[in-house]
Amino acid sequence: MNGIHFRLNGKDTCYDGSAADRLLDVLRDTYDMKSVKCGCKEGECGACAVLIDGVLVNSCCVAMGAVDAHEIVTVEGYRETARFAALSKAFADLSAVQCGFCIPGMILAAEALLSKNAHPTEEEVRTALSGNICRCTGYNAIVNAVLNAAKEGDGLW
Amino acid sequence: MVNGYKPTTLQEAVEIKSRVSVTPYAGGTDLMVRNIPDAVYLFLNDIDELRQITQDDAYIRIGAAVTFTQALDSDLVPPLMKEAISRIAAPAIRNAGTFGGNLGNASDKADSVLAGFALDGRVRLVSAKGERVIPFDDFCVRRGVTNIADDELIAEILLPKEKCALPYYYKKIGGRSALAISRVAFAGAYEVHNGVIQAISATVIGEGKFTRYREVEATLIGKSVDEVSANADAYAERFIEKMTFTRGRVSAEYRKTVVTNLFKDYFASMK
Repeated sequence: MNGIHFRLNGKDTCYDGSAADRLLDVLRDTYDMKSVKCGCKEGECGACAVLIDGVLVNSCCVAMGAVDAHEIVTVEGYRETARFAALSKAFADLSAVQCGFCIPGMILAAEALLSKNAHPTEEEVRTALSGNICRCTGYNAIVNAVLNAAKEGDGLW
Repeated sequence: MVNGYKPTTLQEAVEIKSRVSVTPYAGGTDLMVRNIPDAVYLFLNDIDELRQITQDDAYIRIGAAVTFTQALDSDLVPPLMKEAISRIAAPAIRNAGTFGGNLGNASDKADSVLAGFALDGRVRLVSAKGERVIPFDDFCVRRGVTNIADDELIAEILLPKEKCALPYYYKKIGGRSALAISRVAFAGAYEVHNGVIQAISATVIGEGKFTRYREVEATLIGKSVDEVSANADAYAERFIEKMTFTRGRVSAEYRKTVVTNLFKDYFASMK
């Protein structure tokens, strides 16, 4: 089999490099998906989280061979959706973004939660975001923003 | 595919394993942290037969590439195992991390392996030449070392149904609530009839290896729960004197104290 074939933000894509390459590096360096942040390369911070077939995964802990025949969504693709607009407004309304480094991961973690559970409790939001570290420590505003997005974006998820 | 093989069946996978030097890759959450230079991976993440949770008369059978999230959503996976894996890392890691990886990477802090030990878990190993089923006790040697042969792959984790149905005890102590590696963890399952212990397992994380002290467990069978609880220190000591605790982020003395307390709590919890 030649190349690694996958969909990236809705577009058929073929990667010719090593199957052992990190998805995180390939997304940033080959496909210019700079929303995907490199925080720790250990699966500890969640800044590099992407959706693979709708499931939240840390892209630093994924080798390219594993994504063959799968669908990847980053914020570059997700920002075209009405769901993103609802989350973006809620984050802005509550000033939930400080330095911004963790926010792409937070947004995709929120999408992963809301797509399974459109009306989460605060506890469920905190669990869903528990793998995403914000070193500005603005957790309460982020949690409230996700809860607000679920309320104001009712019907989108 | 450069530096990788992506079989679609287990048969194909073991044939590749028998002729090429490859590193099995299921979820990647541990492998990619280690980031082995020039790695050639055998990708197992899309092999359907490794992604099933099934049951037969004797066992709950969890495929090696089943993720922790998948297991948490399953009605077949026993509560002790669910409690242990629900405390692994955070959602994005549980969405990718697998039972085969947790067992195969031979970490001495693997939460699913601890639960499997307490439930008398077995592992089904498959090669191009055949297969064998061995207890976790025989598979896990020590940190970093297992009894898997070069040409074998982990196919399934088998949990005996009669053990899965027993009352259980589980506690994990980490440095924080999410994304925490167990500093100490304790798992046990037991059976009590008319106040008398019929069966008991007790196993811990903190020794640098997984083990069961079955000869000590056997000394509790036939004792009344009241007697064991009333003399919890002495009964705990029977296990503790066999154990050797490791020093790491926390001291060996800390681990010993915590495990002693957990034994007492375990005995007190029995009904």
